[in-house]
Amino acid sequence: MNVTVQHLTKRFGKTTVVNNVSLEIADGELFFLLGPSGSGKTTLLRLLAGFYQPDEGEIRFGDRLMNNVAPNRRNTGMVFQNYALWPHLSVFENVAYGLDVRGIRGAERIRRVEEALAIVQMRGYAQRSPAELSGGQQQRIALARALVIRPDVLLLDEPLSNLDAKLRSEMREEIRRIHRETKLTTLYVTHDQQEALALADRIAVMRDGIIEQVGSPLQLYRNPRGDFVREFLGAAHLIEADVVAVLDEQRVRIRTPLGEMECAASAQPGDRVTCAIRPNDVIALRG
Amino acid sequence: MLTGLSAFFGLFLIYPVAWVLRGAFVVDGNWTLEFLGMACRSPLVLGAIRNSFLLGLVVTTLATLLALPLAHLFTRYEFPGKSLLNALLLVPLILPPFVGAIGMRQFFGRFGSVNLLLGTDVDWLGHGGFWGVAILQTLNLYPILFLNVSAAMANVDPTLREAAENLGASSCRVFRTVTLPLILPGYFAGAILVFIWAFTDLGTPLMFGLTRVVSVQIFDRVSDVATNPMGYVLVCIVLFLTLALFLVSKRLVAAQRYEMLARGHTAGEKRLCGWRAAVAVAGVGVVAVALLPHVSVVIQSLADRWFFTVLPEEISLDHYKEVFTHPLTLSSIRNSLFYSALSAGLDLVLGVMIAYLLTRRRIFGGALLDALAMLPLALPGLVLAFGYVGGFNWNIAWLNPRDNPTVLLVVAYAVRRLPYIVRAAYAGFQQTSITLEEASLNLGASAWRTLRKITIPLVMANLVAGTVLTFSYAMLEVSDSLILAMREKFFPITKAIYSLVGRVEPNAPSVASALGVLGMLLLAASLFGASKVLGKRLGQLFRAG
Repeated sequence: MNVTVQHLTKRFGKTTVVNNVSLEIADGELFFLLGPSGSGKTTLLRLLAGFYQPDEGEIRFGDRLMNNVAPNRRNTGMVFQNYALWPHLSVFENVAYGLDVRGIRGAERIRRVEEALAIVQMRGYAQRSPAELSGGQQQRIALARALVIRPDVLLLDEPLSNLDAKLRSEMREEIRRIHRETKLTTLYVTHDQQEALALADRIAVMRDGIIEQVGSPLQLYRNPRGDFVREFLGAAHLIEADVVAVLDEQRVRIRTPLGEMECAASAQPGDRVTCAIRPNDVIALRG
Repeated sequence: MLTGLSAFFGLFLIYPVAWVLRGAFVVDGNWTLEFLGMACRSPLVLGAIRNSFLLGLVVTTLATLLALPLAHLFTRYEFPGKSLLNALLLVPLILPPFVGAIGMRQFFGRFGSVNLLLGTDVDWLGHGGFWGVAILQTLNLYPILFLNVSAAMANVDPTLREAAENLGASSCRVFRTVTLPLILPGYFAGAILVFIWAFTDLGTPLMFGLTRVVSVQIFDRVSDVATNPMGYVLVCIVLFLTLALFLVSKRLVAAQRYEMLARGHTAGEKRLCGWRAAVAVAGVGVVAVALLPHVSVVIQSLADRWFFTVLPEEISLDHYKEVFTHPLTLSSIRNSLFYSALSAGLDLVLGVMIAYLLTRRRIFGGALLDALAMLPLALPGLVLAFGYVGGFNWNIAWLNPRDNPTVLLVVAYAVRRLPYIVRAAYAGFQQTSITLEEASLNLGASAWRTLRKITIPLVMANLVAGTVLTFSYAMLEVSDSLILAMREKFFPITKAIYSLVGRVEPNAPSVASALGVLGMLLLAASLFGASKVLGKRLGQLFRAG
C-alpha cells in the first residue's frame, strides 16, 4: 500500500506544526522521518494514524482518501514511543486485541498471535503480564501487536528511544529483518541519525514543520540541500568499496582504496557499495 | 454530555445559590442592602457571627497545634507502630462530630464520668457549650490539616533541607527557614478548609445547645424561609466568606505547585531517639484522645443504665436490637441506604463524565467545569440546603422538600460529594496514559469498545473507591439531612439520631448512639476499602484546591 501526502498542514492554536508537507511513500518502503524534537515529525505520523485531523491537505492510502476516516478504520499498526501495552491484559490478550476487534476467533486467532510472537521472537511469553517484561521485550510485544493485524501501513513512533544503546542496535537489526520479511509499508519517526542512515530506504529530514529534503541515505550525504541537513546528518567521507565476504547477518568485509575492513551492512559478495566514514570515528595515533 | 452537565449544575447549584442571593438582596425587583443593614444592627446576628468566627479560629488554632508536630513526626521519622497510628489518625474523619457529642456529654457533663472519677464538679462543657463544640470539632477536623500539611512536607525536596544543613543550619533553623516557608501554602489551604468546616458545622452546636452561631441561626430560619429575609442574609454572609476563603486557598495551592516543580528524590526517614521519642509518645497520646468521642459513643450505645456512675452499670446489646425494630430508626436506615445508593450512582455517572471531559477532551469552558465540580468543597451544605428549601418551593411534589425530599436529598448528597469522585476518577484517567486508548483505536476498536475494554478496566479501582466513599459520606451527611428532611417518614440516619437525642425517652440517646456506631462501622469499612485501593492517594481526597 503506497501512502500519498499532499500539502498537509496542521496547526495547534497559532503554531503551525506541519506546514504544507507533501510526501510519497512507496509500497513496501521503509521510510524515515528524521528531525530534531519539535520538528513536527510525530505530528505527521499521528496525522497518518488519524489521531489528528489535518487543517489542510490530503492523505491517501493507495487511492483512498483518508482525511475523515476515524483512526480505528485506517488499518494502520502503530508502535508507540512508550509502547502503550495495556497493563490489565496479558501479552497474549494484548496481541490478540486487534484480532478480537476484527472478529477473528478460535484456532485462527491463536495461530496468528503465535505467529506474531514468533516474528518478534517472544514465543513462550504469551501468558506473562506486560509489567513482567523488560523494556526491550515490551518493545517486541508492541511490535507484535501492530503486526498481527497485517496493517496497510506500519507506524513507528521513536520505537527505540526508550532502550539502552546495546538493545537499540539489537532491535535495529530486528526491525530491519522484520521489514524484510513482512514487506510492510513503514513510516518510522526518529531523531537518531544513525538509526535512519542504517535502516532507511529513504529519509525525509524535517525542521519546523517543513520537509527540508527527501532522499536515500546516500543522496542525503552526497547532496545535502542546505546547512541544516548537512549538519544534522553529520559530515562524512564517502568511499567506493567492493564486498568481498559476508561475515554474519550484520557484518561484511569490504575492499576499499584504504585497504580491507569490516563494516556493518547487509549485502552480497561482489556488490559495489559506498561506505561513509565519519571524521569523529577516525582516530589519529602518534607515530 | 456538556448540555446535560450544564443543566444539572444550573438547576442544582447555580439556581439555589442565585435564589439565596435574590432573597437577601432583592425586594420587589430592586436591589437593596436594607436586609444586610438590618442584620448588621441586630445584636443576635452580630453575636452569632462573632461566635462562629471565634469558633472557627479556635478550632483552626487547636487543630494546627495538633497537626503540625504530628505531620513532622510522620513524614520525617520512622518508629514502631507508625502504620497503625497512621490509620487511627484518620478515624476521627469518619464520625460526624455531632454523634460524638452524644457520648462526650455523658463523659464530660456536669454529672459525667470525668467529674465522678475526679470527684470534681466542673462544668467542662460550659460557656453555652462553646468549648465542647470547639474540642469536638478540633478532634474531628485536625486529620484534614494533618493530611494537607504532611503532603506539603513530603513534597519538600530533601536536598533543599540538606543544603541548609550543609551550610550549618541547626534542625530548628532548617525547619523555620526552609521547611516552614515551603509548606505554608499547603498549611493555609488545609487551615482554610478546617476553618470553613468549623464555621459552618451545624450538628455539633445543635447537640450542645450552642444556638448563637451562624449555622444554628440559619437552621432556625428554615421554617420561615418564605417570610423572613434574615435567613438569606446569613446564608449569603456564609457564602461570601467561604467563597473568598476558597479562592484564597486555590491560589495558595497553585503557588505551591509552582514551588515544587524542582522536585527530587525523597530522603530516607530517620529513626527516633532522645527527646523526639518523647514527642512521638505525645503524638500517640493525641491520637488516642482524638478517639475519645468514638469510644464514648460505643460505650453509650452499650449502656443499659448509666446515671451518676463512671461507666454504665449494665452492658447489653439491646439498643442494637432496638435500632432494627424501632420504626423511626428502621425506616431511617432504609431511607439512608436508598438515598445514598442513588446519590453514589449519580455521582459515579457525573464524576466519570466530568473527569473524562477534563482529561480527554479539550473542551470549551473546561476550567469553569472544573471549578463548578470543585465548588461544593467550599459551598457549605448549609448554603445549598437552604437554597433548595427556598428555591424549590414549587408545586411539584417530588421536587419540594416539604412534600418529598427524596430527589433533593439525593441530589444534595451527590453535589456535596462530587469533588471526591471527580478527583478519584480524574486521578484514574490521568494515570492511564492516553496512548493506551489510542493503541486500541489504532487497532480498529470503536470508541465505545475502547472505553469498555481499556479505559474503564484501568480506572475501575479508582471509580470503586470513589463511589464507596461518596456512598458512605452520604450515609452520615448532616446539614443537608437536618434541613431537607422535614417529615419523619423521610428521615435519614443523621436526622433520626438528632430527633432521638431530643426525645425524653430514657434510652433514646443509647439507641441514637447505637445507630451512630453502625454508621461509623460502615464508614470505617468503606474508608478502609478505599484506602486499600487508592493507597496514599486517599489523602488527596481531603486536600484543598
